[in-house]
Amino acid sequence: MSASQSAGERELAELIVTALNLEGVAPADIEPEAALFKTGLGLDSIDALELALEISKRYGFQLRSDDENNQRIFRSLRSLAEHIERHRIG
Amino acid sequence: MLTRLPLFAPAQAARPIAWREGREILLGEFACDVAAVAATLPARSAMINLCEDRYRFLVAHAAALSVGHAAVLPPTRAEQVIREIEASHPLSYRWEDTVVDAAMSAPQASASIDLEIPAEQLATIGFTSGSTGQPQSFPKDWRSVNGSSACNARAIRTTLGIADDAAVWILATVPPQHTYGMEFSVLLPLIAGMAVHAARPLFPADIARALAELPTPRVLVSTPVHLRALVESTQQLPQVALIVSATAPLDRELAQAVEGKLRGRLLEIFGSTETCAFAHRCTAQDELWKLHEGVQLEATAEGTLVAAPWNRQPILLQDHLELHGSQEFHVQGRNADLIEVAGKRASLADLTRRLLAIDGVQDAVVLQPGTESVAAIRRVAALVVAPGLTAAQIHDLLAASVDPAFLPRPLVLVDALPRNELGKLPRAALLAALVNPEFQG
Repeated sequence: MSASQSAGERELAELIVTALNLEGVAPADIEPEAALFKTGLGLDSIDALELALEISKRYGFQLRSDDENNQRIFRSLRSLAEHIERHRIG
Repeated sequence: MLTRLPLFAPAQAARPIAWREGREILLGEFACDVAAVAATLPARSAMINLCEDRYRFLVAHAAALSVGHAAVLPPTRAEQVIREIEASHPLSYRWEDTVVDAAMSAPQASASIDLEIPAEQLATIGFTSGSTGQPQSFPKDWRSVNGSSACNARAIRTTLGIADDAAVWILATVPPQHTYGMEFSVLLPLIAGMAVHAARPLFPADIARALAELPTPRVLVSTPVHLRALVESTQQLPQVALIVSATAPLDRELAQAVEGKLRGRLLEIFGSTETCAFAHRCTAQDELWKLHEGVQLEATAEGTLVAAPWNRQPILLQDHLELHGSQEFHVQGRNADLIEVAGKRASLADLTRRLLAIDGVQDAVVLQPGTESVAAIRRVAALVVAPGLTAAQIHDLLAASVDPAFLPRPLVLVDALPRNELGKLPRAALLAALVNPEFQG
């Protein structure tokens, strides 16, 4: 499965697993197109909050949820990694 | 004669009651929306208001009250929990954003609504997810709701040092369906002259933007888990005159950090679904809680009896509260079974019961390990004995009846629970088993 993750997706997968203490989940096993929230990894809004903090520390920009594209951005590892790639500072 | 209390207080058409889509909404416009929605409600008696938009929630809530309906407040919005409540309240009905929106945008006839609500009318039905698994309901009449709201408003205005008729602008990160969100983001606008932002922002950047839209003085209604995220964030935030926190204990260090970051006072609220809010303190400075006016406590072996002038009889809380004088108290121990996170509530015993109800689960325990990060403030963990099932299968089966916020993480499979010779589960052994499951059983 890891073959399908890009370098950016792999880095984000590692951040998700570490930040959220997802014991028993290997970063390489997170399917790039699978759902992060509810089904799939089963994350919730507090996870999103924790994740947003870690993303702002690592990538230097603030996530927002009042964006119309929010559902799309948080849909999967791939969509979140793409959003980070477009907005990261440095 | 039947006592009646106003649906809107104060009732001036020109006072602001909400902020939505970049503008203030005055009571006059709000009342028209309420009348439009009231005309569409079914001939039932209790609304399960599932509106996400806080303005629509507020409109639907007032509409329900105006036609004599109560508001049912589910402990979480997990589908199975709502179905259980519907089953026990056959005259309840769900009401959602889309139907409220349709009613508000339909061409409006000049409908009129009842602006005086009987004091004895059932206003809200809160639930605790009791340890027996059967949600226990706590009905409040309109008099009770008015009494507690007046005290909540007074605590806010006194701490802010402003007059009873001065405008106050609320932004809340908690859902309106929860008792705390109902009290501080719905009832304060409706009957205590304040105004509320329609949004429920989550990320620090969202909170900053919503706050910046509001006039001053601003009040942020939130929880420790959201406030910790704000403090840890590098996001710049507008000044907030008062920050209200409830649902879980806030330590003094975090209270001081919140005050530093937002440049305002922090007011912590003490209450429960059973009693509504009944005490407050400025946690950055004060150790002791101050009782709302007229509230009396009595310590008993089982817990503490809370007598409030707005409740018909004293209510027993399982928290142990130690009185200092007649108006202040110290918390000796909180009910360890109840967990509340970001405006959602659950009971460890109920979560354990739901785990045990899964086919193939032989033994299980859910516990709250503790403490440091935003996520760890609330995350529960579980030890499960279920030969033949995987942790992922159990997780998926549990997800049908449990809010995602309370799904155990980690959920560790063990051969047996670390029971001592009395059959009890010592906390230290449980924590050890979470870390090293292979050494147990």
